[in-house]
Amino acid sequence: MINPHPGLPELEYVKPASLSEACAFLAEHDGKAKPFAGGTDSFVRLRDGVLKLDYLVDIKGLEGTKELSFDSKKGLTIGAAVTMNQVAKHPDVIQHYPNLVQAANTVASYQLRNRATIIGNICNASPAGDTIGTCMILDGVLNIKGTEGERTIPLNAFFLAPGRTVLKAGEVVTSITLPPPPAGMVGVYKKLGRNQMSDLSIVGVAVLGYPSAKSPSGYAFRIALASVAPVPMEALKAEAILSEKKITAETIADAAVAAMDAVTPIDDVRGSARYRKLMVRNLTREALTEVWAKLSN
Amino acid sequence: MANAKSKEKNLTVVGASVPRNDVLEKVTGSATYLDDIQFGNKLLYARAARSPHPHALIKRIDTSKAEQYPGVKAVVTGKDFPERIGLYLKDKTIFATDRVRFLGEPVAAVAAITEEIAQKACSLIEVDYEPLEGVFDAEYGASDKAPLIHPDLGKYDCVNFIFPKPGTNISNHFKIRKGNVEAAWKQCAHIVEKTYKIPHIQHVPIETHGAVAMMDQKGKVTLWASSQSPFAQRNLVAKALHISHSDLRVIAPMVGGGFGSKAGLTMEAIPVALATKLPGYPIKFILTREEEFYTNFVRQGLTIHVKVGCDKDGNLLALKNMMYWDGGASTEYGTNITRAGGYSSSGPYDIPNVETDSICVYTNHPIGGAYRGFGMSELHTGIDQAMDELAEKAGIDKVKFLKQNAISEGDIVVTGMTMHANGIQQCIDNVAKAIDFSKKGEPSSSDRLRGKGIAIMWKAPAMPPNPGSSAWVELSEDGKATVGLGGQEIGQGTFTVMAQIAAEALGVKYEDVRIAGPVDTQYSPYEWQTVASRLTWSMGNAVRAAAVDARKQILDVVAEAWQETPEDLDIIDGMVISYKSEKETPLTDLVVYGLPKPNDEGWMGGPIIGRGSFMPKYVTNLDPETGQGPRAVVHYTVGCEGLDIEIEKETGRIHVVKAAACFDVGKAINPALVKAQIEGGFVQGLSSAIFEEIRLRNGVMTNPSFVDYRIATTTDAAFPLDTTYVEVPQDDGPWGARGVGEHPMVPTIAALGNAIYDATGVRLEGPPYSAEKIFLAMLDNGKIN
Repeated sequence: MINPHPGLPELEYVKPASLSEACAFLAEHDGKAKPFAGGTDSFVRLRDGVLKLDYLVDIKGLEGTKELSFDSKKGLTIGAAVTMNQVAKHPDVIQHYPNLVQAANTVASYQLRNRATIIGNICNASPAGDTIGTCMILDGVLNIKGTEGERTIPLNAFFLAPGRTVLKAGEVVTSITLPPPPAGMVGVYKKLGRNQMSDLSIVGVAVLGYPSAKSPSGYAFRIALASVAPVPMEALKAEAILSEKKITAETIADAAVAAMDAVTPIDDVRGSARYRKLMVRNLTREALTEVWAKLSN
Repeated sequence: MANAKSKEKNLTVVGASVPRNDVLEKVTGSATYLDDIQFGNKLLYARAARSPHPHALIKRIDTSKAEQYPGVKAVVTGKDFPERIGLYLKDKTIFATDRVRFLGEPVAAVAAITEEIAQKACSLIEVDYEPLEGVFDAEYGASDKAPLIHPDLGKYDCVNFIFPKPGTNISNHFKIRKGNVEAAWKQCAHIVEKTYKIPHIQHVPIETHGAVAMMDQKGKVTLWASSQSPFAQRNLVAKALHISHSDLRVIAPMVGGGFGSKAGLTMEAIPVALATKLPGYPIKFILTREEEFYTNFVRQGLTIHVKVGCDKDGNLLALKNMMYWDGGASTEYGTNITRAGGYSSSGPYDIPNVETDSICVYTNHPIGGAYRGFGMSELHTGIDQAMDELAEKAGIDKVKFLKQNAISEGDIVVTGMTMHANGIQQCIDNVAKAIDFSKKGEPSSSDRLRGKGIAIMWKAPAMPPNPGSSAWVELSEDGKATVGLGGQEIGQGTFTVMAQIAAEALGVKYEDVRIAGPVDTQYSPYEWQTVASRLTWSMGNAVRAAAVDARKQILDVVAEAWQETPEDLDIIDGMVISYKSEKETPLTDLVVYGLPKPNDEGWMGGPIIGRGSFMPKYVTNLDPETGQGPRAVVHYTVGCEGLDIEIEKETGRIHVVKAAACFDVGKAINPALVKAQIEGGFVQGLSSAIFEEIRLRNGVMTNPSFVDYRIATTTDAAFPLDTTYVEVPQDDGPWGARGVGEHPMVPTIAALGNAIYDATGVRLEGPPYSAEKIFLAMLDNGKIN
């Protein structure tokens, strides 16, 4: 049964004075409270009754959550309250992480991206999150604050299941750090939606490549896939093929097949598992071909 | 008369692309829609308790907890309102009584001081259901294996041109028997036999349905509704609730999208039902988006089996159509869609032998209602693709095939009526030329396929035989005219077109004509409904007659005053002039105060008010066994559309390179609005062709939101669209005009399907032609690997 009369339930809006206060409140009300940044996902899910909460804890404006800065040694730091449009417009991001700009610009609509945040996209832990894959293959590290202090965790170790992460009670992701991109990096994000704008991904493929002396092929590639497994995933076997074998059209095709073989999509209203698998192959091949054309040029 | 004739030749306002007269308020956001109206502090809010089952018996309803909930003012259920209602077949009640027939059917409603309280109270209404086996497929529903959804069908009232079959789920069976189809197959050199399935879709107006109702202490009811049909709603509510028509007033503010969904009567009856229990309280009911998706009208689904044959030269000889319409839980409106699908079932083709069975079937799906095209998009999706295939089989150029078989003046159509003059040949030529149809285009890259498709269409206004229009034209001291009318502005531009018609017929400037709005049944003249692409033609005739009447009254007074004959006078831009004496006088003042008689011996004339009405009187019923009769419809509008597309081999995604559309509008009263209708209709057609589908699983809609019910946005429509029109006049239309409101979305699915086939060599069974369907079909047919 679908709810014909969904509506936003009554809930308390909490505005803590500091991150420590926010963490303490979240720990005290574990399961009934959630950090609130853009709200573009939370509000929809609260209205539909999928997400049930008593409190929304506003972390916007708390220390460091609005930071968006680039340092040639440390890399890029994106605070939890920084919106996707702020990221996509930042000159340093455009210069050093154009693939992140591309991925962010495929999310929903411009209006939504005025509110939506990268950290929110990550913390929702949806396998369809369009910016997650790119952050993952850029070796993003999440900066987390909890009641027992701070810790960091690599993005690729963050997800457990759809909607579930390793965050403990009272922990808040305050920012993500993307290390400086590898020299000579070329990256793309390929999104397949049902129509051209504002759809959720049927399949999303993030690819980057760069010259690497460590690889027998002379190049290292990273591939992350969206909407084709319970959590955002990296196609490790495909990456290995590209590291080991001379990069040719066949190698790219082999890697694309390896990516397809690694995914475990489901049938849903957006697409069948069969189509999704084939699209992983085709879009991975397309993305790799595009990246390789620029790398080898 | 010479003057009148010369005036006919020199149209100044009709035929001009004047700016819309409703544009400023809409662009600035100041236009008043239902939810903008303030009703004061007595306003109550309504919510409905709805069935969680697609099919079940109601064993018990207990509303006592809801009634006692603080803030609740009234609770109503089906036992309070047992009267059956319906436009063509009275098969539904405002609330379910003894059984529910679709998921979301209203079972009870609550009026309360807030929406939240009303909603909470709905959840406190206890209903015991006994679930029944459901019917989720029309063809199965029509069989004798299916459980009955309306066991009392035989007791329902219906109009005399709808034929329900009691004891079955068939609420209408329309038949065509023209010529001898069985004998004709033997003469066919080529035959194509196909099945197409067209899914349910939704109208998705930006403004969901909404209504506010209030009954005063004397029992007079006022209903404010976002509506295409204030007069039809008045009629249906009056009959259902035993309120005199004169004691029921419907006010229809601006409409934020209708597309057919706001025709007839749906949720508007609910606040009226509550209002009858609470005199003095306005009660507001606005649907959520979810309710809009599956509790109100949808476009019904269709399964069509089509078999068509031609001789070796490509001349069509025979057509057999078996259509099963998935009408949903009530077919009070849908029965007539089935009828329209039947009497137009040949499409715009001249075919000597036709056999059609158009069957409307009850299912436990959402209720099918009017949707732009009224069955024609669904029908043409089947026949126009079968024709494309047949042309190819016969080895005949597709454009040549269409032109040689297209309906022309004097042909006897499927119902036995003689076809009127029409411009379909030129429509085909214009479209074929615009997309360079005969030339196979090269794809823009090696990973794409390119193809072109073309399809023709026809559509008649689908209505009872006698739908009326009426209008008045009144002038004020400033010499400006106000037009009273009952047709609704739903974005199509009818208020603009009516102002143009009045200006032209009266002799004033377009800028000096006002439309008396909003439509209000207490003050506005009668109009059947804003549907069927009928207003420009029907209401246009009434407005023109009213303006001519006003003009005559003015000229009679002035002629008397000037001691001339009215034939020597004219009205140009608000000035009465005499071609004989060369006198002139402005309309100001004289149209209200009249003119003094010579020598101050009193006055003549007085306030001018012209009246006009129009109703077609020549439409006949058809023989129930053969579908034959002298005149089934008032007229047909014909047209053609074509697409030049590319398809990505890697994903199946479609890119439109160019598209073209051309329709015979008889006379374009406002060419810019004609083009706007064609553009909007084409994009809506394309959206239904590629994206739209109500996904039903055992009666449950699985995509009741914009997240998963996708519609085209501007980014999906960013391609060149060549829009043209031809003008073969309609004998009884104003200046020859006929409607074009629905037609542009009729042939789009078929034209796209034909283009997909041309590009890929694959025929798909039914829309939406999503990237996934195209890709997997190419793969499974060995077109890609």
